[in-house]
Amino acid sequence: MYLSPVIRTFSLLIQLVAQSGGDPRSPGIAVEARLAGRWGISVGDTIAIAAEAAGPAQQRVVEAIYRGRADPATALRGELAVRFHLADLANLLGAPDRVDRIGVAVRPGIGPDSAAARINQIGFGFRAYPSATIASESSQTFLVVSRFHQAIGFIAIVASAVFLLCIMLLKVEERRLDAAVMRMIGLARRTVFLAFLLEATLLASVGAALGAALAYLATVLTNLFYQRKFETTLVFAHLTPDIVLLAAALSLVLGIGAGALAAARLLGATPLALWRRA
Amino acid sequence: MIGRWAARNAVRHPIRTGLVVLGIAVASALLLDMTMLSGGMERSFENMLLSRGFQIRMSPKGTLPFDTEATVAGVTPIVAALRSDPAIAAAGAAVGIPVHVRKADSLVTLVGYGVDPKGQGFYQVLEGSDLAPGDSAGMLVGAPAAARLGWRLGDTVRLLGRLDPQSAEAGIERLMTVRAVVRWLYDSRDQLSVGGPYRVVRAMGRFVDPDPGSMIMIKVREGHDVDSVATRLAARYPGVQVNSVAALVRQFRNRLVYFQQLSLILATISLVVAVLLVATILAITVNERLGEVAVLRAIGVTRARLVGLVLIEAAAVTAVGTGLGIGLGLVTAGWLDDILTSFPGLPAAISFFVPEPAAMFRATTVMIGAGLGAAGYPAWLAARAPIALTLRSEAE
Repeated sequence: MYLSPVIRTFSLLIQLVAQSGGDPRSPGIAVEARLAGRWGISVGDTIAIAAEAAGPAQQRVVEAIYRGRADPATALRGELAVRFHLADLANLLGAPDRVDRIGVAVRPGIGPDSAAARINQIGFGFRAYPSATIASESSQTFLVVSRFHQAIGFIAIVASAVFLLCIMLLKVEERRLDAAVMRMIGLARRTVFLAFLLEATLLASVGAALGAALAYLATVLTNLFYQRKFETTLVFAHLTPDIVLLAAALSLVLGIGAGALAAARLLGATPLALWRRA
Repeated sequence: MIGRWAARNAVRHPIRTGLVVLGIAVASALLLDMTMLSGGMERSFENMLLSRGFQIRMSPKGTLPFDTEATVAGVTPIVAALRSDPAIAAAGAAVGIPVHVRKADSLVTLVGYGVDPKGQGFYQVLEGSDLAPGDSAGMLVGAPAAARLGWRLGDTVRLLGRLDPQSAEAGIERLMTVRAVVRWLYDSRDQLSVGGPYRVVRAMGRFVDPDPGSMIMIKVREGHDVDSVATRLAARYPGVQVNSVAALVRQFRNRLVYFQQLSLILATISLVVAVLLVATILAITVNERLGEVAVLRAIGVTRARLVGLVLIEAAAVTAVGTGLGIGLGLVTAGWLDDILTSFPGLPAAISFFVPEPAAMFRATTVMIGAGLGAAGYPAWLAARAPIALTLRSEAE
């Protein structure tokens, strides 16, 4: 088993003191690329750091510029980060030899649950959790957002179903004259119905394909916009085959269903009645 | 007479009219929800911050109140100076720490607030009486904590602080008496919180600075401009973050920019749907009735009256649909709000969908305007129909 102590993030104030040529005896820090880019910080620069605005500042030399892992929990907050050697940050905060959490990697073949249970038996004053439990707890926010998206999706489906029904009804109604002629020249009601159904299927298929293309374009634009806005590599919109399939299936079912309903209603009338109404 | 024609035309195709009304109702409901979402969060946040009349917050530099564990150093002289400022009616510091109580053989962790009743703006007394000046053993209990721990007014409980993570031994213990059950305005649902005199709670925390504060709340005296007082305080205390409520709302808006943009996109989509629906239906209806339109023109009905007929029909269908949509929107807003307010850690006082007459009026006006706009093309078709040609083709 291997332990990796990690100290909690803490609010700090930093100020660029000198560009390169700092005191090489100062402990080193690593600066996140966004912060470095924004303030023009480079490796070798010296930075003054204080735990409190009114507190004494200490100097640190920038040893590295790093790009933080994209984290959806913090990306939207726009927080900027600096990494310290653990002991250095603990001393700076005036709380030596204290950490907020300890990361534990178990050996292959050992389950995280059993390892956590064993630590909890022998440890006192702290509690061990498998990463999956923490991930589940910390993803609650995203589960809420996901439920919200599903609710909005449901409303959008109802709206588009009504819209589709309207359009298909009108589209078929427009064909009254054609329907009357087809019936008068001897085509069976079923044949005319199938012709309208085929037309509805074709329309729904083309519409679904166009919708998928539009959704792909919207996904690309959404990701471009938000990745630039929040300076992150996170993917904000993800068009998966499942979603495309669901949307296409809904479009086809709704489109064909609406077309069938409208065609059945139209063909319920006699050819002469249709001719008169046209 | 135009109104009667319009009504008769709407009734002539009941299914079609019903579907259009339904479509507009769903689109209006979505538009109303998104209108509420776009401004509701901010207003709800602002109302929460201003609920006790404190318009300025001071917090550690670079942070929002209680956003991190950082503290403002030396708050007592700052609060004293603020209270002597003629532009300031009240000021008080608050500090937040974890505290613990024993329940059976386990420990329950609570949020402990150190408050100064002379200048506090983040709780309301529900039952009992507020902490009196000089009361060093009084405690305020949030309603969820009182319910969970079974505490009542007058109960004396033992609060533990500075818990050693290795041995679970408390570094400090205090016997406190429940003076009041309160509502902590910024707490999330079911958050277990207690409050005590600022100095007592501060002493129970583990701080590097001897006189720390998580936040200072300031109430500006009437007749003084809040923003200018905030600017002056920011200049006087450069090491502290000074935010007016307006500035906090701006920062809140930045954090929730996603919902703002989502509401804008969905509101636009709902408008487009409504416009397309009305325009398509009316265009087809007018096309179907070109013969009737030509006859009306031939017997002397003016173009303006025909345009009026189409516009009235559009306005009537949109108005009925929007009316239904407002009711539907309020129902769905409650449903969506229940989902979003289950965000972990969100203050219970925050609402995402705030039903306000202004939002309803805006949604109704925009939707009816969109319906009338959508009727423009069909109205133009009706007005421009060539009389003789149309009559001849109808006769054939």
